[in-house]
Order: sequence, then C-alpha cells, then structure tokens
Amino acid sequence: MTSLSKMLLALAFSALANTTVAAPKGNAAAGAIAAKPCAACHGPTGDESLDAQYPKLAGQYPDYLLRSLQEYQSGRRDNAIMAGFVKDLSPQDLADLAAFYAAQDGSLKDLSHLK
Amino acid sequence: MVSGSLRNAALVTLVAAFSAFAQQSSPPSAQDAAVAASPTPASIPEAPVTTATVVAAVPEIPAPVGNAAEGKLRVYTCTGCHGIPGYRNVYPSYHVPKIFGQSPQYVVTALMEYRNGTRKHPTMQAQGESLSDQDIADIAAYLASARSP
Repeated sequence: MTSLSKMLLALAFSALANTTVAAPKGNAAAGAIAAKPCAACHGPTGDESLDAQYPKLAGQYPDYLLRSLQEYQSGRRDNAIMAGFVKDLSPQDLADLAAFYAAQDGSLKDLSHLK
Repeated sequence: MVSGSLRNAALVTLVAAFSAFAQQSSPPSAQDAAVAASPTPASIPEAPVTTATVVAAVPEIPAPVGNAAEGKLRVYTCTGCHGIPGYRNVYPSYHVPKIFGQSPQYVVTALMEYRNGTRKHPTMQAQGESLSDQDIADIAAYLASARSP
C-alpha cells in the first residue's frame, strides 16, 4: 500500500470517527411500537431470532444497539436488509428501539464467567 | 463532500489491496484439483482436460463445522474486552457488546466481515485477521452453546 493511500485511509477513518452526535434519550415504550416490523426476524423481544443469521438483541447494551442502528443508517455498517429498515427512522426512533431491546430479558451475557 | 470522496478513495484502495491478496492466496488451481481427482495416472499429462471436467472436479468447499470445546479455548482472548461487565469501547465511547449466547451464523458473519474489512473496528479487524474459517466456526459454536438460566 502506498503512503498516499495510507494517509487517505487514516483521514477517512478520522473523518468517520468524528461524526458522533449527541443522541436523544430512548423511550422503551415508544420503542416497543417501533419494533413491530423487527419481530419478523428478531422475534417479539429480540431474544427469539428466527434464524441463526439474525443477532439476538434482548438485554444487549443500549448504546451498542444505538451505534449499530446509526451505522446501518450511515452505511458504515453495510447490510442491505438493515439499511432498508432504518432508512426513514429518526434519531429518536433509533434511540427508542435501542432502549426497548436493552430493557428486554434476554440470554445474552458477557464472557466474565471465563475470567 | 470531502470526507465522502476520501472514503471512496480509501475504499478503492482497500478493494485493490484485497483483490491482490486474494490472487496471491488462491487455493491450488482447478487444473491441479482435476489432475489429483482424475482416475488416470498423473504421469499422463497429455490427457485433455476440458472446461467441463475442470468445473466438475472442483468440489464446493463446505463451511467448517464448529467445535464448541475448541471455541472455548479460542475465546480466551475475547475476554479481555467482552469478559469485563460494563466495559466500554474507548472512542467513540459505547459498551462492548455481550456476545455469549449470540446467534452462531451472525457471529460467523461478523467475524468474517471484520476479517475482510467490510465491518470496521480496528481492534476487531486485527482479531479477525488472526482467525481461520475453522477458528471462526469454533468460536461461534462456543458462544451459541450458552443457555439461558
């Protein structure tokens, strides 16, 4: 890789990393309504993914979920299915969805049992 | 937009680098495979190999089957971030996701996307680069082995 392209890469990443915008506070009750279409793949609470290719969402950290949704919307995370679903959602919608799934009981855990 | 064009330039560079890499690391050629699979002795190189036989002789490579016990050994590295309750990514700041119990095919896709650079996160891309397809299948099998209480 040339030094020019390395420089371009570094610039591109720093430009992307600097686009953090303060997100609105999520409302889980509003998120429950916004999450209706998501249930077709992720299940009603996000803990019943209908196929092993779809991630479980229930009980996941809300800021991780929000960041994922923001990245699907911006295209930084490239997924045709998710891009279609989040295309017309507002920042408030994204925060509400993240709050809803984070508040559900789920089977996701960290790996602290291995430490 | 300046950052957009920079990003495009960066993506073009990435694509070029990966295609160059893919050519270097391509598996044994189809012709080699055809010769190896051929019932005729390899000492008769004059035997004509038609396009049809080459295509038929290259088997579809199945995805490796994950071994959860191997995966448990592999995820030791992951505990450095994913094993600390409430641990946060430094910049931008957000919680490192919970991954124990995650859907297996999703984990495979995520790690492969980190490995090939489609999904961007410097630490995870570096981790992905050290993993084989079998390693990734093993990790996914272990993470999926979690059961809700």
